[in-house]
Amino acid sequence: MNPLHPGRPGFLLGLVALVISLAACAPSSYIVLLDDPDGRPSQVVVTTEAGETTLSEAGGALALRSSGARPTNISAEQITRDFGDTMAAQPPPPRTFILYFETGGARLTPESEAQLPQILATVSAYPAPDISVTGHTDTVGSPTENERLSLRRANFVADWLEDARVEAIDLTVTSHGQRNLLIPTADGVDEPRNRRVEVTVR
Amino acid sequence: MRYWPIPLLLVALFSAQGANAEPIGFVKTLQGGNAVIRALDDSERPAAIGGELNVGDTIRTDRRASLGLTLKDDTIMSVGPDTELTLEEYLFEPARGDLKLGSRLGRGTLQYVSGSIARLQPDAVSVKTPTGTIGVRGTQFVVRVGR
Repeated sequence: MNPLHPGRPGFLLGLVALVISLAACAPSSYIVLLDDPDGRPSQVVVTTEAGETTLSEAGGALALRSSGARPTNISAEQITRDFGDTMAAQPPPPRTFILYFETGGARLTPESEAQLPQILATVSAYPAPDISVTGHTDTVGSPTENERLSLRRANFVADWLEDARVEAIDLTVTSHGQRNLLIPTADGVDEPRNRRVEVTVR
Repeated sequence: MRYWPIPLLLVALFSAQGANAEPIGFVKTLQGGNAVIRALDDSERPAAIGGELNVGDTIRTDRRASLGLTLKDDTIMSVGPDTELTLEEYLFEPARGDLKLGSRLGRGTLQYVSGSIARLQPDAVSVKTPTGTIGVRGTQFVVRVGR
């Protein structure tokens, strides 16, 4: 007799047993893709001995077993239960400020100078903040001159932050010359948006 | 002449030589319990907020601790209790096109928010688990490795 046939006395018992066995099958190892708050596309590709499985929808989950990765359902409650502490420990997202320079030199535009209070406020709000200062130029002048100029700009900003008594656990200065243009241009183009120093607070 | 604190001066010297002696990131949060970090040379140190992270470090949290970190490419990771996470590979030289970020979750829980390396080279970022390797194209996920 089929215990799962409705109307039979064993039906309810069979259903209960099925539900219990499904619950017991909830995977002990799994991955869940989350929503990106900034709307960037999310995707992971899980490779096991059984092959490749792609996850590209937020909320989608895969059970990770030695026999392979299989689609599964993980409830929001289970995510909270398993990852509540993990998520509570997440540091704030790094924040990048872009400061612009007058042409040819290491003088900040007035608008960029006015961003100082905001940078300092961000640094003091972050736990154990570390800062990267990266200098860039436009394509006016030779690459060698621009390496030097972008380093001068980055050092200027580092000094400016230190004069303002910024309190960070680390401050790293790098320079990219004209090798990392924000706005791609031909050689010799005076592009204000490329004359910049990026300050990232983590 | 710049009057830099000595640690910053050392960082500047090492990076000028192209050596990989700079930290790759820092511990930002630690709550609920304790965690230890084992370096490549097998030495162990207690994890602390503001502590440096280097290639090869393995972070182990106790059964109450959770810990958050950021890497210099702006990747954010946080781990829950009873977790073992190794930062196996890290290369972040965008100007030279050298990009790589490989981690291993031996057990426990991890929340991952990808950074610049995944954005610049989506096939360069992975998290290994005992049963499979996660290729991180972007951007956020949680993964649990049960016992």
